[in-house]
Amino acid sequence: MATEQLSALPVKEVELSVESVSKRFHARGKFIEALSSVTLGVRSGSFVAIIGPSGCGKSTLLRLIAGLEEPDDGVVRVRNERPQTFRARGQLGIAFQDPALLPWRSVRRNVALPLEVLGMPVRDHRQRIESLIELVGLSGYADAVPSQLSGGMRQRVAIARALVTNPSVLLLDEPFGALDQILRRSMNQELQRIWMASPTTALMVTHSIDEAVFLADQVIVMDAAPGRIRDTITVSFPRPRSSALFAAPEFHLVCDRLAAKLEVCGAS
Amino acid sequence: MKINGHTQTAFWLLALLLWEGVARISGAVRATIASPTLILAQYWSNADLFVPHVLATLHCAGLGFALGSLVAVAAAMLFCRFPVVEGAFRGINVALFAMPPIVVGPVLAILCSDDLPQIILAALVVYFPIMAAMLVGLRDTDPRLLDVIRTYGGGWNAVLRFARLRSALPALLAGLRAAAPLAVLGAMLGEFGSGVRWGLGSFLLGSLGDADPARLLSIGLAATAIAAAGYGVFAWIGRRTVGTTMSVTLAPDRSPDQITGEGPYSLAQRMALLVGAVMLPFLLWWLLLRLSHISPIVAPSPVDTLVYLVSGPEGADARQALLVALSHTLPLAALGLFTGIAAAFLLAALTVVCPQMAKAILPLALLLQSMPLIALVPVVLLLVGRDTAASVMMAVLVVFFPAYVLLSQGFALVPRPACELIEVYGGTRAKQLKLVSVPYAAPYIFAAAKLVAPRALLGVMVAEWLLTGKGLGNLLNVSRGSLDYDMVWAGTVTSIVISIAVYEAISWIERVVG
Repeated sequence: MATEQLSALPVKEVELSVESVSKRFHARGKFIEALSSVTLGVRSGSFVAIIGPSGCGKSTLLRLIAGLEEPDDGVVRVRNERPQTFRARGQLGIAFQDPALLPWRSVRRNVALPLEVLGMPVRDHRQRIESLIELVGLSGYADAVPSQLSGGMRQRVAIARALVTNPSVLLLDEPFGALDQILRRSMNQELQRIWMASPTTALMVTHSIDEAVFLADQVIVMDAAPGRIRDTITVSFPRPRSSALFAAPEFHLVCDRLAAKLEVCGAS
Repeated sequence: MKINGHTQTAFWLLALLLWEGVARISGAVRATIASPTLILAQYWSNADLFVPHVLATLHCAGLGFALGSLVAVAAAMLFCRFPVVEGAFRGINVALFAMPPIVVGPVLAILCSDDLPQIILAALVVYFPIMAAMLVGLRDTDPRLLDVIRTYGGGWNAVLRFARLRSALPALLAGLRAAAPLAVLGAMLGEFGSGVRWGLGSFLLGSLGDADPARLLSIGLAATAIAAAGYGVFAWIGRRTVGTTMSVTLAPDRSPDQITGEGPYSLAQRMALLVGAVMLPFLLWWLLLRLSHISPIVAPSPVDTLVYLVSGPEGADARQALLVALSHTLPLAALGLFTGIAAAFLLAALTVVCPQMAKAILPLALLLQSMPLIALVPVVLLLVGRDTAASVMMAVLVVFFPAYVLLSQGFALVPRPACELIEVYGGTRAKQLKLVSVPYAAPYIFAAAKLVAPRALLGVMVAEWLLTGKGLGNLLNVSRGSLDYDMVWAGTVTSIVISIAVYEAISWIERVVG
């Protein structure tokens, strides 16, 4: 599906909905308001990036959608279901900043892990696992264990793992945060290719302005203390976006606009 | 000097040759520490004795080890799943960690017979280190792995199956490795208590009278060899399956404080847990006796024992006897503890100035810290005799090596930049030691003290039981021999309560100072 069409789509069914969600943590006797009355809707098939200063609750928001945390107030729904119900059907894929691979499992068996947790027969998915390993460029490494791979390769295993259940919702929590700029850019392009090859709604938390602008249809700007949504900007570059876009003046214009909004956040 | 495997082997071969040579020339040396060939000859000429003794100890240590590790692994999973249960069992865990196992032998001999006392004592001794290692391994599982599994709807069982069990494996193997020599110790201590015919402990007990150095040392070495074999088996499995790492090799045993999971409990909940933790051991004691239908004459309940000590007709005499024994044993244990830790701290500090020394000593200390301490009895007897000094030396020896391993780890963890800072300003190694290393490593003294205080008490009591004939160890041995059941129970409970009190006192000092 080409993206000129996608951004022109009328408001379709909402895939992810977060309504007036608040989340507090207590640390050392103090309550920290991680999220304060956050409302957000993500359309099916879109790529949304969340950006903001440290402590703005962007990772908490992702964890709420993954059902790893429960909101104190408000409602989180994934396709009109509780995240815990939705994820049990294997429709959710997730990748974290750390690849979080099981160090004792080979690449192939790490990619297969979600199937095993969901109780699906791995045998029926052999072909999919192999093609995913190929998709992330790791053919020939299927039997290697994580300690034999470089940081970028491990992160690609984590991406393949996130895709193995053919998820309709993909959650990415700074998946390339630990990589250097050069590797990160090539991973961005790979991610775009993978995402365009499968009809998936993606929500990505990031620290990087150009990563957000390069990948997303929409960038949500968050602010800290308490964590809340400050602004949303739409990015409408045609897809597939190539690496030439990183050098384009219009790309930098959007980046500057985003940076300005983030500076306002930092100042307040 | 560069120290590698070959120079070390050469050094030990040379030491052996020297020992043999000196013993051949000097009759006095031969009469105190025998000689390698004389010791080896023992195994040959007394094979008919050694084989059944070794087999008996192996049998009990093996069964006890299997039983204890099964319970320990199950308990660790339970504690990981329900932290509240761990809180409630804290009293039992601290008791099992801190108690001198020698005091439990006589009680077990009252409660059951045949091989059971030795098997149960071996199981009791191995339980804590294995449980602690497994629990820490289960808890330390990378939380991001847990997130991945939970995102796919995996519950506690899936997390256990896919992540926790496998990632606890290296810790479990380290725990099993540390516990294997302890099983030998437990089985031998059980033999003292139950007075069975066969077993290396009984063999040693029966050979002490003759004081034949070759015989005594050959028994000590046999016990050490079994213990080392147990250690070696799990070290080998560890290397084969998980690729052992230096940190695992060096990781000292853990004390109960280091495994306690923190929970968001209120003050009231914490108080309830504390009361539960204190009550549970006594409750289990009472329940065990009720269920086993053992006569209250041989197995008094907690209340009976308290009454016997406080208001019973023999109360005054019993208290007097215990007090005399304690006033002999406790100062010696304290003296041994302080001397051993001080020596270990000094030596560990010296290795900062002279790092080559650490390379030479550490492997030896690692080996010796896992040696069953009974194997030291012959050495102490031959060198010091049956004086009170034997008790102190025994305590120092069992304290020194584990304390040294832990403290040198403390010194090794001093951040490099801090040392380099001193170096940049032209400071010497000695200055670095004074300004950085010692202040950094000092808190490890408390960790070491907590770990080895129970050993100091055990060391003194073993020496008292076997050699000096004084103090608490002797009181228990005599009461056991004269079937004074009330005194056996009172002595055992008092020893355990004192051990726990010492442990808690050191923890408290550690918290206040730290």
